[in-house]
Amino acid sequence: MITLEAQPDEIYDIELEHSLLEANAKLAKENRALLDQHGITAIDFMGAIGSGKTTLITKLVEKLKNKIGVAVFNGDATISNDADAIAKHNVPIVQIATINGCHLDANLVGKGLKQIDLENLKLIFIENIGNLICPAEFPLGSKARVVVVSVTEGPWMVRKHPHMFLGSQVVVINKIDLAEAMDVSVDQLIKDVHTLKPDIKVIPTSCKKGTGLDDVAATLLAV
Amino acid sequence: MHELSIASGLVEKLLQFAQENPDKKLVEVRLMVGELSHIEPEQLRFCYESVTVDTPIGGSTLTIENVPASVICPHCGYNGRPKYWENVVDLAPIVTLRCPECGKAADAGQGHECSIKSVKFLRKEVA
Repeated sequence: MITLEAQPDEIYDIELEHSLLEANAKLAKENRALLDQHGITAIDFMGAIGSGKTTLITKLVEKLKNKIGVAVFNGDATISNDADAIAKHNVPIVQIATINGCHLDANLVGKGLKQIDLENLKLIFIENIGNLICPAEFPLGSKARVVVVSVTEGPWMVRKHPHMFLGSQVVVINKIDLAEAMDVSVDQLIKDVHTLKPDIKVIPTSCKKGTGLDDVAATLLAV
Repeated sequence: MHELSIASGLVEKLLQFAQENPDKKLVEVRLMVGELSHIEPEQLRFCYESVTVDTPIGGSTLTIENVPASVICPHCGYNGRPKYWENVVDLAPIVTLRCPECGKAADAGQGHECSIKSVKFLRKEVA
């Protein structure tokens, strides 16, 4: 075997402008164009495992399914429990198992869009993988990104995961009925979010008690 | 770990380069990674080394250059370094999208980059 040793005068340098996120970004634009063409708004829900993404989506589906066409894309690394829970509501549902992937990407969502009948749909809720870092780098083609945090995750969620909020349009602070028991200040969480991004809409909710859900539904219908 | 997805995309591109240029051996690839991206340089380097083993670009070095974040304010026209949320955690200061001049919501300018800037290669003798 011949090993080549690089000598300074033998090294050539070439510029090679090439974005590594471009392939996904391009597919996300294609997804968005397809959705726009059908008059469909897609909303991407991101948040930690257990923050209440599935419950929130289920409640929103319950509220909206008799008024407009709703479908749900459910991303999970392995199991389909979440999709099964939503499927009871008889709306089109696509389960996207990423196996070992830590985020949904535009390619998977694009494949999902080919699986369902887009006629008569107005809203698609996309539930991303329960992860607060990786999904931020991969747009899917949605019109708005929603971060769901809950008071049970403690008082520092916003400070610990600032990037996720910077790229989102709506923040839902869930499980506020447990705030007192958790000794977490909802006001401080809202203040933290606005320190990062002053114009982001923050909605405190309790999916269990139904608090704030009308506001979330109205906000998402208006994006 | 999304660094693996990024590294795979990078390696795919570089292997294509290697295939198209059989007279060149890749020694170094330089990436531009923005301050607003969520990419951990150490993990990316580890993924790169793992993925390139036993390929024509194995042994090449991955160098990562940081692109500092900037914000553009649609309200007052400010364009420059962002306001940081300092002293909230013991680690690095956090970039905010609050305008350092007027305090209203600003947009991110640069800082989301993740791209190959250049490659260094060695011209080798082809038999």
